[in-house]
Amino acid sequence: MRVSLAASALAVSAAAPASAFAIDYMNIEQAAKLMFPDAETFDARDVTLDAAQLQQLDAQGIKGRSAHWSVTAARRGGSTLGFVVFDEVVGKVELISYAVGIALDGSVRQIEILAYRESHGFEVRLPAWRKQFVGKGAGSAIKVGEDIANISGATLSCTHVTDGVRRIVAVVAAARRGGALV
Amino acid sequence: MGTPGHGKFERRARPLLGTIVDIGVRVDGAACAPIDAAFAEIVALECLLSRFDAASDIARFNALPAGASLAPSNATLEVVRVAQALFISSSGLFDISTGTAPEGWACRDDQLHKLDSRTVLDLGGIGKGYAIDRAIDRLIEQGATAGWVNAGGDLRVFGDVELPIALRDESSGGSRAFASLADGAFATSHYGAGARSRLAGAEPGALCRHGAVHVSVAAPTCLWADALTKVVALSGDTSHPLLARHDALAWLH
Repeated sequence: MRVSLAASALAVSAAAPASAFAIDYMNIEQAAKLMFPDAETFDARDVTLDAAQLQQLDAQGIKGRSAHWSVTAARRGGSTLGFVVFDEVVGKVELISYAVGIALDGSVRQIEILAYRESHGFEVRLPAWRKQFVGKGAGSAIKVGEDIANISGATLSCTHVTDGVRRIVAVVAAARRGGALV
Repeated sequence: MGTPGHGKFERRARPLLGTIVDIGVRVDGAACAPIDAAFAEIVALECLLSRFDAASDIARFNALPAGASLAPSNATLEVVRVAQALFISSSGLFDISTGTAPEGWACRDDQLHKLDSRTVLDLGGIGKGYAIDRAIDRLIEQGATAGWVNAGGDLRVFGDVELPIALRDESSGGSRAFASLADGAFATSHYGAGARSRLAGAEPGALCRHGAVHVSVAAPTCLWADALTKVVALSGDTSHPLLARHDALAWLH
């Protein structure tokens, strides 16, 4: 074991500036291929839930949050293997984007974090901050370097991701019942 | 010596263990298999050790009446035996019954015995570290030469790589450089207002006297880094004899 303390380590509360950091793991296409390696094509569809479907979600205790979702179907030959949905959630001081793979029986096949953006709490809620991050990733996936690789002392909450996954499972089920996804 | 900036690393993250688990391995061959195996190991251990999973060994034990016992998995036995020994060597500071009835359980003959109906076990102070160690074992078995497993701040790194470790400001975000770590484990617990970590029993008066809200421990394995943060938090002693016994270092900050 080798541990070296940073110069500022023991003066944490003093003048050392706090810096935000970000990690890109993979983009949506990479996540879809990882979840459904046998798929030949990925077919993105816009799904719009109607008022009745949103009410059904409410009745299940799930906030639909949005009526509009993009759901990617993984296909091989003429058959559908499953679905991938991309989403992002805002925590106290972070923005987490993730993808959920859903099997044909409606169960969660895999969850992958796509990117993690930590901020001082307020930037994350501004549209410009979100925009800079949405759609990013292809060239900068999986980078470990000068940007902080690992943090400690942080209980990175995954509560919002867990809630988001439940919502996505319900949205895909509702869309399939409604015939919007085949 | 390598740093994360040298060489390519494949890196993935999944929501597990109540946090986001980040795994990285040096890419020098097919990197996917080791990471998949490590995630699978963590999923399997979470199913055995989490008290929030009704089918886990721990949840089933907690549901037992006094006088009953069960035969848990080998992984559960391994963690519980370490916890039992640490309860004694820390003079009761480390307590997986989190104060409910510390003497109300026993591990004998590969069985977990419930002696007191009030006993509720919670491996939160040690299970995550154990899962990280096991995930590291899988990475190495599958041929990874260097990498890390980081579960929301409890992390272990192996091979020819040195990881920068930053501490996050829990109240307002942002992070600060704290240390770099190679070939070992590091765990931090936060005990400030609003923190998720709670110490069983009394408030951490020892910490308050230092004006500290974080306890960090570096140790050769993550099980010990994780477990010893609790001992240091409750004793307020960064020179606690158990640290030297397990080749560990501790900081209050």
